[in-house]
Amino acid sequence: MAKTELLYILRPGDSFQPLTVNAGAGEEYSVTFLILPGADVSVSIAADLTGAGANVRINGLYICGASERVEIKTNIRHLVPGTSSNQIVNGVAGGQARAFFDGRIIVAQDAQKTEAYQTNHNILLTEGAKVETKPQLEIYADDVKCSHGATIGRLDEQEQFYMRSRGIPEDEAKFLQLISFLSPVLEDVPEGRKEELAALVEASLRSVL
Amino acid sequence: MISDDNKVIKEFTSSEYKEGFVTDVEQEYVPKGLNEDIIRMISARKQEPQWMLDFRLDAFRRWQKMPMPTWGHLDLPKIDFQDIIYYAAPKKDADRPKEIDPELEKTFEKLGIPINERKALAGVVAVDAVFDSVSVATTFRKTLEEKGIIFCSFSEAVREHPDLVRKYLATVVPVGDNFYAALNSAVFSDGSFCYIPKGVRCPMELSSYFRINASGTGQFERTLIVADEDSYVSYMEGCTAPMRDENQLHAAVVEIIVEKGADVKYSTVQNWYPGDAQGRGGILNLVTKRGICKGEGSHLSWTQVETGSAITWKYPSTILKGDYSSSEFYSVAVTNNYQQADTGTKMIHIGKGTKSRIVSKGISAGHSQNSYRGLVMMNPGADGARNFSQCDSLLIGDRCGAHTFPDIRNSNPTATVEHEATTSKISEEQLFYCNQRGIEGEDAVALIVGGYAREVLAMLPMEFAVEARKLLSVSLEGSVG
Repeated sequence: MAKTELLYILRPGDSFQPLTVNAGAGEEYSVTFLILPGADVSVSIAADLTGAGANVRINGLYICGASERVEIKTNIRHLVPGTSSNQIVNGVAGGQARAFFDGRIIVAQDAQKTEAYQTNHNILLTEGAKVETKPQLEIYADDVKCSHGATIGRLDEQEQFYMRSRGIPEDEAKFLQLISFLSPVLEDVPEGRKEELAALVEASLRSVL
Repeated sequence: MISDDNKVIKEFTSSEYKEGFVTDVEQEYVPKGLNEDIIRMISARKQEPQWMLDFRLDAFRRWQKMPMPTWGHLDLPKIDFQDIIYYAAPKKDADRPKEIDPELEKTFEKLGIPINERKALAGVVAVDAVFDSVSVATTFRKTLEEKGIIFCSFSEAVREHPDLVRKYLATVVPVGDNFYAALNSAVFSDGSFCYIPKGVRCPMELSSYFRINASGTGQFERTLIVADEDSYVSYMEGCTAPMRDENQLHAAVVEIIVEKGADVKYSTVQNWYPGDAQGRGGILNLVTKRGICKGEGSHLSWTQVETGSAITWKYPSTILKGDYSSSEFYSVAVTNNYQQADTGTKMIHIGKGTKSRIVSKGISAGHSQNSYRGLVMMNPGADGARNFSQCDSLLIGDRCGAHTFPDIRNSNPTATVEHEATTSKISEEQLFYCNQRGIEGEDAVALIVGGYAREVLAMLPMEFAVEARKLLSVSLEGSVG
């Protein structure tokens, strides 16, 4: 079982070369990207699953607090039976930031026993920020398990009230909420780098609050 | 076991379209084709005032400059707009015969539509029956008039209530809104007009029934519903057409205006001829339906059961302009054989505290393609607005497709949008479970599909719910496989 782990940390000035992945029989790919404050970037990931047992995971997050423009595009094609994919992309938009997510799952005819999941959750921190999401499923086989979920919303006020009534300052409460909101993305990151990445995310969140 | 299931599913999804007969009445047509003369001819035949003709010509000129939209997930056959007859009416006094032709009455009776008041269920439903390009009867008008409710054919409304029509026409769906809406604005023939005055609760269900009969024609009806402040109306729409090898075009426009505190419930059971098992013929159903919740606290609810048409391209939408207004969209779309459906909704949140809910259930069988396409938009002023969307797809057989294309935009940090979608099939376990309890084959599939669509069917008015349930199981007959 070959496993390939790819990690991209995108900082101001960075760009992302469109990524194409071909996962053959039994191959596993895990792609993680972190879009940090100040990065104007367009991330495009295409994956073809062409052999039984192929598995592709995409973990992404973005944190924007100024006037960034972030575009995330995924295109996952399940071309043969018995493959699986899982995408999770969460992000936080503050300031005047613009974030776009366009995620597509295609299950080809006869690609039975496919399992494909996608989630995209977004938080708007300010009135100037704007998020657009287009999660898409195109399914041509019947014996499959596919789902997607997408939300655009704000931080829960009751949670904030709970924390503040226990003496946690407002910014700290928000910070804790955002940490827990983004942490699912970091569950599948390369071994040994989790703490480093978590610290990076925390520092970035502090900078936009 | 599996091959048994396949057989059961096959049987279940191959059934007959029982509304596919043709009524033999003498009809008059305008010549085939589309140009300004044809539009003048239609307008003259309907004895329309100048402003109506100007409206049509303006629409036609815009339409000529518009490209046909191609963004749907549809394989649309080429439509030759010069090869269509744009107006067909049963002979006799062209517009509204004093006496209903017995042939027509028989037709509607056969379809289960009571256009004769004596025979109708006592005061439950008022019907406007449209046959090809004209409205042939509107029942219970007297009863409704007593309450100040106007319910008549669109042509009559243009003559008798021009002020109301002019005030509201094309305010929700502008003339140049899209290709098919522009075409409709140019050539629309008949449809229903409905006005509910302030504070009036409409005492019965209002209903329009559309029937395409003539060959080589298209149907272009236009419906305008206005619910004034604090009024209520429940409106239903049904449609059928004969079986033919050719594709027939149906391009309708429905506009709904909901004023402050008013409540409108709009239900559709769409059963146009879907084409045969090889995908020949069928209606091309390309319609624009849109409502506006204009005033504070207004409410508009869409419920649709889509089982017919070779191609469906339809997105009943709501503009939530009034503060605290709300809207729902409940849909069951069934496709079988070679049918294609690209349907969904748009919820445009403008006002404060507006709420919307979308429940869409797609069922695809045979070689059909079934797509949900939706837009939820939270504008900057939509403080505290909320939307929840649930889109489920059920696949029956391995040659069909089910697709979900939502578009969600939010530019207000206090607004919340949630969307989720799932795709599944009728599992062998579910069928086995039913079989084990003595529920066999088609009944088991009907039961499972019925349960799957229940949330939506429960929203239909009672008269429609029974019909819709029957339609669901008939549409899927022979698809289990």
